[in-house]
Amino acid sequence: MNGHCNVKVNDTVEDFHGNNSFSDLLIDSKKSVVHRKHETSRKKDEDQSRLPAIEAAYTSILRELGEDTDRQGLLRTPQRAAKAMQFLTKGYHETIEDILNNAIFDEDHDEMVIVKNIDVFSLCEHHLVPFFGKVHIGYIPNKKVVGLSKLARIVEIFSRRLQVQERLTKQIAVGISEALQPKGVAVVIEASHMCMVMRGVQKMNSRTVTSTMLGIYLEDPKTREEFLTLSRSV
Amino acid sequence: MEYQHDVEINGEDKYQNICKHNGLCKKEKDSKDDTDSNKLSHIEKAYTTILSELGEDVDREGLRRTPLRAAKAMEFFTKGYKETIQDILNDAIFDEDHDEMVIVKDIDLFSLCEHHLVPFFGKAHIAYLPNKKVVGLSKLARIVEIYSRRLQVQERLTKQIASAISEALEPAGVAVVIEAVHMCMVMRGVQKINASTVTSVMLGTFQDNPITRKEFLDLTIRK
Repeated sequence: MNGHCNVKVNDTVEDFHGNNSFSDLLIDSKKSVVHRKHETSRKKDEDQSRLPAIEAAYTSILRELGEDTDRQGLLRTPQRAAKAMQFLTKGYHETIEDILNNAIFDEDHDEMVIVKNIDVFSLCEHHLVPFFGKVHIGYIPNKKVVGLSKLARIVEIFSRRLQVQERLTKQIAVGISEALQPKGVAVVIEASHMCMVMRGVQKMNSRTVTSTMLGIYLEDPKTREEFLTLSRSV
Repeated sequence: MEYQHDVEINGEDKYQNICKHNGLCKKEKDSKDDTDSNKLSHIEKAYTTILSELGEDVDREGLRRTPLRAAKAMEFFTKGYKETIQDILNDAIFDEDHDEMVIVKDIDLFSLCEHHLVPFFGKAHIAYLPNKKVVGLSKLARIVEIYSRRLQVQERLTKQIASAISEALEPAGVAVVIEAVHMCMVMRGVQKINASTVTSVMLGTFQDNPITRKEFLDLTIRK
């Protein structure tokens, strides 16, 4: 049964990679499959050297918007904004292997594990404006459990990037799936997008919900229902 | 046309508008449109630089038009610079024999922190004691929009709203309270997700009379 379920999860992962709508997620044997092949991996020490160019860009933006870049409140804003932007995209130079830190333990447990209400903050890649909300993650271990905070750290890796909520959800699910080879993974994200709250259509109370179900969560409606019920309860 | 924005601590801001008309004359509007699209393309280029320096691939499908969208979004977020109180009040000031408190509360507010260029948002509560002149209620919310759609500091924003209402209506008192969440301290930095910042400005009777102030706070803040 265990081997059977393992294969099922892997099949779904491979289907996911072959699926046209996510064709930009290519399988590269040298990198983790959840990193896009054409994405430059940003090294930490590169950040410092790239700051001046980003700062200059922000100075230009402020001037073109009509602001006075010499007034006291704005004097160091280009530096602060550049550093903030690098922080908000720091997920690019983090990998699952690094953060998992070998916190995978053999445990004879095969019941559902849920970590819910994980706060998530990301940047919409279309408008460079934040979106944020909560992530609920469930997985059914296959004799291997992971340190609970590592699930939240996996969320951090993928959310601290320029993202689209659909892709973010899938990357988290696939990341956990590859690291643990569990019987199933479920990820639900409910978020508020500032790009449609602060501008554009300006709908204050709207929320976007996306979900990815892998393995047994995909195949068995009762398991899926159990996860959805448990993650929603207050 | 260049706008010089100079905000003083007492909440007044000065514009140097070349055209003295109330709005833009056509010739200047045409040249303004050209200048505007020039500015937009400069901002676009700046965003393209930022994206590539962050290590992203600016040619991938999701990012191809992002510099343009981000530039337009940024212009929208700072459109308050181009608006004046006179324009939006639209003569919606009426003589009314009313001198009791008028409150408009829970006005959703979105602004950009001028230190990190990251949004902060929350609610504004406004009250005033008319002095025989009342204003169209939505105009209070529009005044909030003018000042919030700028690079701001919450303290200054509160003061600007209060001063603007004070100057336009000459009421017996004005009170403005803003409660907002700052993404610059939620998404980054100290990362405290439940922290919110409250600022207030009390003018006239609201400042002098504690009972009036208390009535306002009871009607707005206490749930």
